Amino acid sequence: MTIPMEALMHKKANFERDTERYHDFREELLNLADSGEIMLQRITGETAEVPTKYGRMKRIQKGHLWHHKSCGQCGHIPGYSTSIFWVMRKLGYDSLDPKDQTSCTAWNYYASATSNAAAQAAVAVRNFAAAHETGYYPMIHCGTSYGHYKEVRHELMAHPELRREVREVMKKLGKQLVLPEEIVHYSEWFHAMRHEIAAKQTRDFSNIAVTVHPACHYYKLVEGDAIYDPDVYGGQRTAVVTALAESLGAEVRNYSTWFDCCGFGFRHILVQRDFTRSFATLRKIERMKEEADPDVVLTHDTGCVTTLDKSQFATQAHGRNVGIAVMSEAQFAALAMGAHPYKVCQLHWHSADYRPLLEKMGIDHEQAWAEFQADLARLERGEKRYLDWDDVDA
Amino acid sequence: MTQSSAIYKVPDVAGHTDVSYEEKARLFAEVKSDVRFSDYLYGCYECGICVAACPSARFYDFSPRRIAQAAAREDVELIYQQMQEDIWECSQCFSCLRCPRGNNPGGIITIMREVSINNGLNSAKEALGGYSRIIYKIMSTGTQVSPDMLQPDAFPDWGPETGDVSNNLDLWRRALPSDTLHTTSTGWDVSERTLVELYLIWFHTGALSMIKDVDSGLHAILQEIMEERLEDEGIEL
Amino acid sequence: MPSDTVAVIGGGPAGLRAAQTIAELGHRVVLIEQHHELGGRPIQENYAGITPHGEPAEPLLRRMAELVTTNPLAEVRLSTEVIGVRGEPGDFTLTLESVAGTETLDVGAAVLATGFQHFDPGRETQMYGYYEFPDVIALQDLEGMLKEHKVVRPSNGETPKKLCFVQCVGSRDRHIGNEYCSKVCCGVASKEAIEVRQLLPDCQVYIFYIDMRMYGYWESQIYWPAQEKHHVQYVKGIITEVLPKGDKLIVRGEDTTMGRPMELAMDMVVLSVGMEPSAGTRKMSRLFGVAQNKYGFVRAASSPLDPVSTSRDGIYACGAALGPADLEDAVSSGSNAATKAISFIRTRNAVAEGRDAVVTG
Repeated sequence: MTIPMEALMHKKANFERDTERYHDFREELLNLADSGEIMLQRITGETAEVPTKYGRMKRIQKGHLWHHKSCGQCGHIPGYSTSIFWVMRKLGYDSLDPKDQTSCTAWNYYASATSNAAAQAAVAVRNFAAAHETGYYPMIHCGTSYGHYKEVRHELMAHPELRREVREVMKKLGKQLVLPEEIVHYSEWFHAMRHEIAAKQTRDFSNIAVTVHPACHYYKLVEGDAIYDPDVYGGQRTAVVTALAESLGAEVRNYSTWFDCCGFGFRHILVQRDFTRSFATLRKIERMKEEADPDVVLTHDTGCVTTLDKSQFATQAHGRNVGIAVMSEAQFAALAMGAHPYKVCQLHWHSADYRPLLEKMGIDHEQAWAEFQADLARLERGEKRYLDWDDVDA
Repeated sequence: MTQSSAIYKVPDVAGHTDVSYEEKARLFAEVKSDVRFSDYLYGCYECGICVAACPSARFYDFSPRRIAQAAAREDVELIYQQMQEDIWECSQCFSCLRCPRGNNPGGIITIMREVSINNGLNSAKEALGGYSRIIYKIMSTGTQVSPDMLQPDAFPDWGPETGDVSNNLDLWRRALPSDTLHTTSTGWDVSERTLVELYLIWFHTGALSMIKDVDSGLHAILQEIMEERLEDEGIEL
Repeated sequence: MPSDTVAVIGGGPAGLRAAQTIAELGHRVVLIEQHHELGGRPIQENYAGITPHGEPAEPLLRRMAELVTTNPLAEVRLSTEVIGVRGEPGDFTLTLESVAGTETLDVGAAVLATGFQHFDPGRETQMYGYYEFPDVIALQDLEGMLKEHKVVRPSNGETPKKLCFVQCVGSRDRHIGNEYCSKVCCGVASKEAIEVRQLLPDCQVYIFYIDMRMYGYWESQIYWPAQEKHHVQYVKGIITEVLPKGDKLIVRGEDTTMGRPMELAMDMVVLSVGMEPSAGTRKMSRLFGVAQNKYGFVRAASSPLDPVSTSRDGIYACGAALGPADLEDAVSSGSNAATKAISFIRTRNAVAEGRDAVVTG
């Protein structure tokens, strides 16, 4: 008796991972902690468990988090950062937005190479030690920081001489060699919290079509930490962003260059933008437009939002088939939960036209802009020096 | 001078005949001695999976496969040519980690770039031309990009919104609800003590001295800023 | 007096040949098979034709099984598993379990012929979308279709116009941990490619490879005819990912020898999945106390000159329980393990009777 087609389809319908095959790096990390080589920051309090690429469950601490901010987000897409803060506040989880934090400096490392393994590890460990001192658990906002810190962790685990060197440098700062038990990206928190986020949804997204761009540094660098869920893409692609968008009722559409990089290039986005622009539009935006025609591209990294958003203007001037709103899934989730498009999501910092998307979401962007302008007028009149969290929800 | 080990490319094919074989071999030895190198290169099947995944290979005459092959063959002539002509085209996206052998061509390039910088190679000087401000920002302020870098003349291709941001920068920053984000010349407000610690890292890991050969002016400025700050804190190096 | 019986665990090609050899040499053999029928992977997975020549697999395997089932010295226990092993070399007691309950079996030696399983392409090579796209299938899935002489796209039942094989899926990969070559996939894929071309002359067939490994006669038996007679397209360059575009599948790679990127739309993609130790091989290795290599296959203790002895006296292994093997390897090592097991028992008896051993080594 031969297998009929149904049997083949049945076999392929359900992918189960054999988790026993894979080496768990945490054993080694615990050994290093036990032998006093490193200080491990442990996950505490309420957690959510999510599956990673090879089936290992990753625990995501829900609250009491230390925001490891992103240079590019804070500098050029501030609504990315404020949306992360805002969603966390709305869900009732406490966090700390520290001043005792530097960039991971990996943008520089990948762009200009004016750094080295020891410096990069020391910068990472300094930030981890700073988080550890506060008792808050680090949550990394940037995909590149997240990817690079995983590289650093790998290098520190593999090379005793590097550990020695970094410990020496840390000693001069009065700090220890601290690593967190899990390196957690904010999009993993959003993924783990997607049902809690959906439970507080106030806007209907059922008519919104999205495409997802997954960030290379999230799932290609030290790939075993990335989240894969058997229920999303059959467990064959990372589930972050996609699962959240689906939880919010949006339609996630496929396109044929899903795995492609955005074209950021680190140095290219700044000094060789013709490459970045060509890649971002020809390989990503135009393909999405042609094959999926989405209302918005959702992604989960600083460089990808910047590249995909900023590359469309000049290309549009050449009459190419571009013109899709771009934002992070954090901003998208915030909008779903009723966030103000300007006061919270800061969409006026974005370039690709997001207004048709807001209209589809049922948001009166002209009125929203007027509200934001009224707030700005208060600042200009000197009524307040800064807006704060009470203002954005007013 | 031609050496017998350079069997894959004769020097004039790989160009740069003005540089001696010994010098090229020395540079490759520096690449190979990096602690990361053994994690980044095993052997090469020459299967092209890295090229298929590579964004830069689509737009430049660039190939992560050739980088891995040259390193695996220890072809110092070709490697030198790549250090002068190819490595700055890489996007550092690490799509090439798809390699079944576990090679990391992007990582090999990171090391080749660092060696180019360390040794003041022309390609490094060219690549960092126009980039000084970024290095200055990251090393001196601890955040890479700042809101005030969004100038319309620097980013004319990013659309009129760049001008809006630039024109309203101070006001728009003050409208941000998070109190670490009111800054305009740094990504966020970094505390003084944190900067001191960062400077100590740049000094003690040799990261600061790396740029001495490629950009002596920038190096001098950074050194002065950092030393001054550390002196104020009563820290001697 | 300890038993002269030899137990053979596993009724695939290697186990069948081992059992047949033991019985033909005059020893009692008990063949234990966990499934309800003999034949192993070729029967369970519906192989169409045997590599290299493509002769129908099922009749050949059925005939092989008959040579065992019709031999009075051979006893076959189907739907039976070994759940316990006691004793020492030369005098083992196995505990067998079946629907009838458990029983014990005394044997003098045992042959492990527990075989392989096909690499699960969802396990780590996720970028090929096996569990995502209906038209991405594996070698054995295509075998099942070829056996029915009906190769169609699972998504819509249509005949494919372009079909490709992606080689080395789950083999030769440091990330996956299977650093070995699975040996047969180049030949099997090429054989299937020929069969597809014969069945569907209008379907273009591509094979994307890292190295084409057609050792020995497979070169002239499969590779040359595939290229020269059946016009299968061989491209050196491995596929990085598979994604849908419309109702097609885009495969992306570098045509390395032409030095250019390629992006082709396919109707079907066949993943040439490699071999991994079967669950039975892992389990029986532990139960019989024999060493496994780092990949989980039974470790041949004195390879290469004695490829069937394990780390434990009196326990031998054959076929794909030892590592990737084609059918010739499997049946050869089956006979080899059978003679080693018999020699072991005869030596044991000779020593017990104070005679010189019949064999040494």
